[in-house]
Amino acid sequence: MNIPTLSDYRSVVDRDVTEELYILASHVGNRSIKMVNSTATGGGVAEMLHRVVPLLNELGVETKWEVIKGGSDFFDITKAFHNALQGNEEVLPKEAFNTYLACNEMNAHQMDFDEDLIVIHDPQPAALIQWSPHRKNKWVWRCHIDMSHPNRQVWEFLRPYVEEYDAAVFSSPLFSPELSIPQYRFYPAIDPLADKNRDLEVTYINSTLEKYGIPRDKPIVTQISRYDPWKDPVGVIQAFKMARKSVDCRLLLVGDKAADDPEAEAILTQVKEEAGNDPDIHIIFLTHSIPTEINAFQRASDIILQKSIREGFALTVSEALWKYRPVIGGSVGGIPAQIIPGFTGMLVHSVEGASLQIRTLLNQPELARRLGENGHQRVKDEFLITKCLKRYLLLLLALDHPAQDRITLI
Amino acid sequence: MAEGNVFQFSSSAYLEKLTGKQASNLDELLKLIESCTSSSIFFHTFSALRKLREFHFPYTNDFAVWISTGLHEEALSEKLGAINLTAYGTIESLRERIVEIIKDFRDQNPPAFQKKADVPFYLCDVTRIVYLTDKFAYNLKSLRELLDRISIDSLYFHFIESRLYNQLHLDDISTWIEQSLGLTELAQGIRNIDISVYTLEEIRAKIGELIDEHMNKPTTKTGV
Repeated sequence: MNIPTLSDYRSVVDRDVTEELYILASHVGNRSIKMVNSTATGGGVAEMLHRVVPLLNELGVETKWEVIKGGSDFFDITKAFHNALQGNEEVLPKEAFNTYLACNEMNAHQMDFDEDLIVIHDPQPAALIQWSPHRKNKWVWRCHIDMSHPNRQVWEFLRPYVEEYDAAVFSSPLFSPELSIPQYRFYPAIDPLADKNRDLEVTYINSTLEKYGIPRDKPIVTQISRYDPWKDPVGVIQAFKMARKSVDCRLLLVGDKAADDPEAEAILTQVKEEAGNDPDIHIIFLTHSIPTEINAFQRASDIILQKSIREGFALTVSEALWKYRPVIGGSVGGIPAQIIPGFTGMLVHSVEGASLQIRTLLNQPELARRLGENGHQRVKDEFLITKCLKRYLLLLLALDHPAQDRITLI
Repeated sequence: MAEGNVFQFSSSAYLEKLTGKQASNLDELLKLIESCTSSSIFFHTFSALRKLREFHFPYTNDFAVWISTGLHEEALSEKLGAINLTAYGTIESLRERIVEIIKDFRDQNPPAFQKKADVPFYLCDVTRIVYLTDKFAYNLKSLRELLDRISIDSLYFHFIESRLYNQLHLDDISTWIEQSLGLTELAQGIRNIDISVYTLEEIRAKIGELIDEHMNKPTTKTGV
């Protein structure tokens, strides 16, 4: 499939959405952005950047993307940072912070930061700003993770670097600490024309399930997520087993592994132990997921679960809602922004709650259909990539006038 | 906006600002409401109408929703949800009314102020970016034609957000109809639309119906 251009999005969003992007871009003028993160593949951030970067360029905002380099010791530490900022109480040794800073310094010396706006994604490269003391451009820290209960040691270490930035961006007010710099909320977004979300032929969906040996003889309940303790795949199996006592169904767990995630294999072992030899539980571990296959799994499912216990945003929820699937989500992180309970999906707080909602939605197909329809509209309004492009354009304009709450473009 | 007899449609976009400030009980909420910016008050009241804009949902203002879902104090939630936002001339008078309702409730129900919500109320603010579009109305007929074609954001700007810069009971559209076209009765009809009970698409339809009714009256001044 060809890479979609902006005009292709007119087939899925209202025409005035793309018109507005061009109007705002004309006010932004000739500007440049550099995006910096820690992985080119795997996970929602990389996936989003693969689409946002070319589309911003199409709008006339020259945008580059660079990935920082680091050894396995650095990524082990940043994984620990990630878990700590999401609430893990682990105490890290002083050497971990030294290794983190040394890697950031090495990257800072190998990169240039000449663009008008530098957007640093997540904690891994957050300290890069330290080595640009005479910068004249704007720097923004874009935090994608759940910072509602950050580990104090790691946050107190990172906070002085974050407060060097011109602004910070979080996915939800829940993650926003009091900072001395302006903060904005950006919802992450999905690309409706990407292979992971575009319409598929029914024959392709059927052949994908056949390929993985998943019979279509009963309703399918699916969670698609990295194998990660915060996604609670073990709790998903427990909820499924409870629900199946009342309603016959299959469980499909699908997950891949990000390049910066050394823990996935250990979690997968726990998941397999919990599943045992149950023939109705299908565990699929993809080292390199194929987007159209993920799309097919979602479209073949009767219910999508995202039973996370900590989350950044969980774009898998928006992906499923876009496909009119009813979604049961953990009430954490960005999931409540996507799921309005009883209206665009169901929110749960426990294994028992998830099992009850599986039973409810499998027994009430009309309710499930209505949730899917409302969910699709909500994603169309708030969580598509066109909205993400708009927010970057607005950010460029807002950073020009940080003290103004109203900016009138002439 | 209106310039002479011509109405140039604007539109607005916004970036939601996070303050890092939150309230876990009614006392803390009261303090936030008393001390936050006017822009924050507008965001959590009028701008709530922009959320879920396609749907029927009891979503009149963020304070009422949180008091219901977070604290389960339904009576206070209803009192705040029932505020007629356009009955107040300024954001400051709206703020005073919200504070007054919460304080009255405190006098009658002191135990409610001991309750702690599981999920806090997060105070937000907003940066609004307003820009002109290439759509102009010269008379009532062209306004009616454009009404169906302007974006939902443009409708939001002229019918809701413009109240922040003028008076809360006065929207741009009825003001232009009254001042430039001299159609006082039609303007008043548009002002009577209850913004708390309709989605923006329904408001668009309501304004359209009122203009159609007016234009179809054979003896009235049409402004065409």
